[in-house]
Amino acid sequence: MKERFAIGFDPFVLPFLVGMVFVLGYCLFGLFRILWQLPREDRRKFLLSLITPATALKNIWDIFCNCLLHVKLWKRNKMLGFMHSSIAFGWFMLILLGHLEVFIYCPERVHLFYYPIFFNYFVANNESTIGGAVLFFLMDFFLLLVLSGIALAMIKRVRSRLFGMRRTTRPSMLDRIGLYSLWAIFPLRLLAESFTAHISGGSFLTIPANWVFRQFLGNDLNLLPTWWAYSIALGIFMVVLPFTRYMHIPAEMMLIPMRNAGLRIRHPRKGFAKMQVLSCPGCGVCIDACPMSVQKVNIKDCTVYLNRQIRRGNEKRIEEISDKCLLCGKCEAVCQVGVEGPKMRVAQRSVRRYGLTPDFAAIDTAPLVQAAAAQVSKAAAGPKVLYFSGCMTRLTPSIGKAVTSLLGKAGVEFTWMDREEGLCCGRPLLTAGRIDAALALIRKNQEIILGSGASVLLVSCPICYKIFTERYSLPGVRVVNYADFFAELLEQGRLKLEKSDICYVYHDPCELGRGCGIYETPRKLIGQAAGIAEAEKNRAESICCGGSLGSLTLDFAHREVMTRKALDNLYGSRADAIATACPLCLSTFRRYSDRPVRDLAEVLDASTVSSFQP
Amino acid sequence: MIDFGFGLSRSSSVKLDEVDLGLYHKLEALEPGVRVCMSCGSCTSTCTAGPWSGMSVRKLILNLQRGKDVEKMLSCCMLCGKCTMVCPRGINTRHLILSLCRIYGKKQ
Amino acid sequence: MEKIAIIGGGIAGMEAARRLLQLGHEPVIVEKSDHLGGHVAGWYKLFPDMMSARELVEQLAAGLDGVTVYYRTRVANMNRLGSGYSVMLSNGVNLQCGAVLISTGFRLFDASRKEEYGYGVYDHVVTNSDLEAWLGGAPDYRIPDNPASVAFVHCVGSRDLKAGNPQCSKVCCMTAIKQAIEMKEKFPQADIWCFYMDLRLFGKKYEDFYIAAQRDHGIHFVRGRVSEVSEDIDGRVVLKAEDTLAGTPVKLSADLLVLMSGMLCNEDTQSLARMVRADVDSDGFMRSRDNIYRINESNRPGIFFAGACTGTKTVPETVGEARAAALDIHNYLSGND
Repeated sequence: MKERFAIGFDPFVLPFLVGMVFVLGYCLFGLFRILWQLPREDRRKFLLSLITPATALKNIWDIFCNCLLHVKLWKRNKMLGFMHSSIAFGWFMLILLGHLEVFIYCPERVHLFYYPIFFNYFVANNESTIGGAVLFFLMDFFLLLVLSGIALAMIKRVRSRLFGMRRTTRPSMLDRIGLYSLWAIFPLRLLAESFTAHISGGSFLTIPANWVFRQFLGNDLNLLPTWWAYSIALGIFMVVLPFTRYMHIPAEMMLIPMRNAGLRIRHPRKGFAKMQVLSCPGCGVCIDACPMSVQKVNIKDCTVYLNRQIRRGNEKRIEEISDKCLLCGKCEAVCQVGVEGPKMRVAQRSVRRYGLTPDFAAIDTAPLVQAAAAQVSKAAAGPKVLYFSGCMTRLTPSIGKAVTSLLGKAGVEFTWMDREEGLCCGRPLLTAGRIDAALALIRKNQEIILGSGASVLLVSCPICYKIFTERYSLPGVRVVNYADFFAELLEQGRLKLEKSDICYVYHDPCELGRGCGIYETPRKLIGQAAGIAEAEKNRAESICCGGSLGSLTLDFAHREVMTRKALDNLYGSRADAIATACPLCLSTFRRYSDRPVRDLAEVLDASTVSSFQP
Repeated sequence: MIDFGFGLSRSSSVKLDEVDLGLYHKLEALEPGVRVCMSCGSCTSTCTAGPWSGMSVRKLILNLQRGKDVEKMLSCCMLCGKCTMVCPRGINTRHLILSLCRIYGKKQ
Repeated sequence: MEKIAIIGGGIAGMEAARRLLQLGHEPVIVEKSDHLGGHVAGWYKLFPDMMSARELVEQLAAGLDGVTVYYRTRVANMNRLGSGYSVMLSNGVNLQCGAVLISTGFRLFDASRKEEYGYGVYDHVVTNSDLEAWLGGAPDYRIPDNPASVAFVHCVGSRDLKAGNPQCSKVCCMTAIKQAIEMKEKFPQADIWCFYMDLRLFGKKYEDFYIAAQRDHGIHFVRGRVSEVSEDIDGRVVLKAEDTLAGTPVKLSADLLVLMSGMLCNEDTQSLARMVRADVDSDGFMRSRDNIYRINESNRPGIFFAGACTGTKTVPETVGEARAAALDIHNYLSGND
């Protein structure tokens, strides 16, 4: 290997150089800004995590798996996984090998940014090193890999359905420029390296191509223009990158360490939220996932569009999108980079200005505490169980009735905290972004629960359960979901089930499944009480029933379409009946379902055979 | 002055042609559902906050339609959504309440 | 003599068949259940004259001598054939008819869909139709022996978007008052409560019933829709509503809750409409050519309607419409239209 030019420079590298300096400068500046925006404690936490060996290693591993190999995407969709990882990993290897070449053959040029990129232009091959052949082979191999990815990307643009995507985002003008320059980079590199292969050497791809070209191109006049074109394509791509969705490439590499450091969204637009917005690749996986997208009018209200509007600063649309969302969390579950769609929206809602703030000071909890305490104290030995059914359960009395019956059969004495009158758990206020009011309500409920002297808080509504576990401070009280509680009673032999011959399909309520991570216990219980079938979309990908309180603006007619869609998914299992574990899902499905819909407690109650004898 | 045993006080009747419906019209623009209320009272009787604050979406809408102030009633709303669930006309009462709170925010 | 298929052997189908027979045609009744008279056959007394429902059905049946009736039979398919229709029945019979009368009637709203009222969950909740059957002598364990208070809830599954039916079912207000009076007569000591949104008592003598209910029977009327029902430890139902006239939330413990289930379009109506490409209206019922002058006529030639398949109807309206439809069909077949 020997250098062709003593000065090691040619003007064609300038477009690349400008782009590179610009993008690096922009990203570094942006990173410092975001770090600056983080609250002090978060910043400390983040910087500390970077130097903690365990998290640092995890960061590297996660970045390698997610940003380069796209492991999560592979699991979801092989074609998309190959497309993305071939481009990302292939390109990464091209850069890495380029540096390796420079390092081995002309170490004095290591400090030059452009040298590894345009290595083949600047060196001439003297066919002396076998190592060179291996490197050249690898370079060609990875170039081919990237080109295959680019080819798939082009096909995907035209026929996204081949990749299992029903809908993708509409790229903006700048996105298109970025996209086309990205597509152009690698074919141009192939051309440039092929034209140069008789000078600099090459491998299985570039040498035959060089031979073909030389059959009809007699001279080397076309050599420099292709290198220019290659450099310009790179330059354009890097200059537009910060303003396109390709910003996700550098952003995701910073989002992963931030998430691993345990940061949370504190401000709707700044810091961690900003990092999430920038990390959104605009792939549009969330569009197909979103339960609202069954209607065309709602497609532009998916998380990918929220991120886009936040980047554009379109306040009106940001508000519309944030208020409409059901907060079912499915976009987050399927998101490849981990954008927290629901939390982003709640953060947007939380900064809204209201002239009236709820004031719960007038609520005197003393009578409620007394009533609960009087009954709790009557309970015999054993855990003192306080049952909180929640507001919604008043409209679905079958749940309360079944829970009462089951507890009676198991011989569990309990106090029904909100049988007559009770307060809301606070989650609806929280999701509406009225966080202070929610906290005030939480304090009121804490007074009642702690004042009652109970040791177990049994909760049947997953909406309440989520906030009880996440936001309440209840020392000495064990908060337990009814599914877990019944599972324990079964294990202890206090409940006995006999399998009925009805077959249920279990619908995972958003709040219990994605919200609290409880997927298996209800299935296990239903499996013991009756037959169980699975819908096509289940567990983390279960479809929201459409009744969610998360949405502030969706009206009744629009929700109906979503409910019917979710029901179709459940009907697909061919089960006789539908089982769920949330009062809101229950009443929403019951409104339209053509087959029975039962709550988990009802299913169990119907199959309980023996009563507990103390 | 002779005491007649009764006094002249201002009539408590609402002059429908003179009431200021500014607030109601603002709310209408944000939540058109408010127009279809038929005063069945489902929202009031199911209200979680009702026992503590006299909260009543039905009264709230009616008062707005008669040009009265409703600020006090909203103070205990927990946004629990039961009123939305039971409304036979499908009014998005939660959005109605939030919109009203925002209108009050812009007034000051 | 041309055959006329009458789909549905309720009071509309029976009356139309009787009249068509008199006019010299050959009506054939296709009935999905095992008896004639439809819903009315299960009822006790009919307002406003408190005539026995059974008597009416018997009277109508008496005029059907010579009419073929297929019980437990449905229409499998129906096609235009020449100037008439070929009607395939589920029992394998194929009818060649000059005209078809759709008199499929209505279906009662399934009260368990309004779960907050506890039908099927609590022990003492019945529907208007259950009560009617009990009044007619059928035993019902849900109805206590000596109730101290009985509550009627109007508009269950009517005027309710959430129940999928925004329309008024028209007859439930009057039915509630009739049944309230009947209950009061059975249990003079009981307090009877009616929870209504609006009282729609539009027919001849209906207001008399309202006045009698107030004046002679002391029935309590509360203007407010019941939003939720719970059950106390003694198994009584506890209703929550707002007394919208007084502006206060109210609670009532009752020994029996009667839900006035509304009238919905029959499920079969939709599939029948598809067979002959007849229009279905936005409320789910059949669409008449107009709702003023040609209620009996469909948009297809030779397809006629009678009774509650085009919307909620009272018994006298249904019977009158059936008679009109018979005349329409007669004129259509004799070409004097």
